[in-house]
Amino acid sequence: MKSYAFLFWGYLVVWAGIVLYLAFLGTRLARAGRRLEALERRLHERAPSAR
Amino acid sequence: MTRRFPLVYGTLLAVSALGIALALAQIFLVAPEERVMGAVQKIFYIHVPLAAVTFLAVFVLLVGALGYLTTGRPVWDRLAVAACEVGWVFCTLVLITGPIWAKPAWGVWWTWEAKITTTLVLWLLLAGIVVARGYATTPEQAARVGAVLGVVAALDVPIVYKAVDWWRGQHPIVFGPGRGDPLAPGMGRALLLSMLAVTVLFSALVVLRMRLAALEEALAAAEDAAGRSW
Repeated sequence: MKSYAFLFWGYLVVWAGIVLYLAFLGTRLARAGRRLEALERRLHERAPSAR
Repeated sequence: MTRRFPLVYGTLLAVSALGIALALAQIFLVAPEERVMGAVQKIFYIHVPLAAVTFLAVFVLLVGALGYLTTGRPVWDRLAVAACEVGWVFCTLVLITGPIWAKPAWGVWWTWEAKITTTLVLWLLLAGIVVARGYATTPEQAARVGAVLGVVAALDVPIVYKAVDWWRGQHPIVFGPGRGDPLAPGMGRALLLSMLAVTVLFSALVVLRMRLAALEEALAAAEDAAGRSW
């Protein structure tokens, strides 16, 4: 029974680690995408007034 | 790559999820229990593929590093940084799953055995690349520093692989010509399935990390352009 507890924690740690890393990458991607869109929007808003 | 990204990444992630489900079924429902260690030996089916894919990650890091050093093209740097970071995550999981097997098998969580110690050195080298890149003042400097350190990290992989032979360590030998005991058919299939699933998962994570690197480069360029125009 003790062996199965070890196994459970072992596999849980692996998948939890990978899910955390995926969430970390997803968050960074979403943040970078939002900042890029906001920057492009500001550049477009500025462009007509510059003329 | 930009337009195809959702399709490529989605397909790789779906295939890896299916592979992981099949591998887990094979590991827990089909593969026989090892006679001496019992159920705890089953940690081997995830520990070994993670270790093998860590080696693959360092090889991809080496390809990216050499590609960047010879051509200077950013795509090689994106490949190197993705392989380095994903490789570090996998190496971390190797260093966590190892002790989970070692405690019931050897009676200790950690020992300064040659293969384990050289794997820890690899983990430190990969972490060092991520940290050193963060301290660089320009993207070009980060790419160059990362590439040179990537080549250095790659030199550790053959040392990890041969550590048991060179220093007569106690770590079990699994792979290589004339190395390790043959596995029972159910065990071999479980290991192969797990190896394939973890390799596809690695590919999905590298594609995602490369996409992030490309987006961050575009953001830095846009911020630079905006700074100049305002």
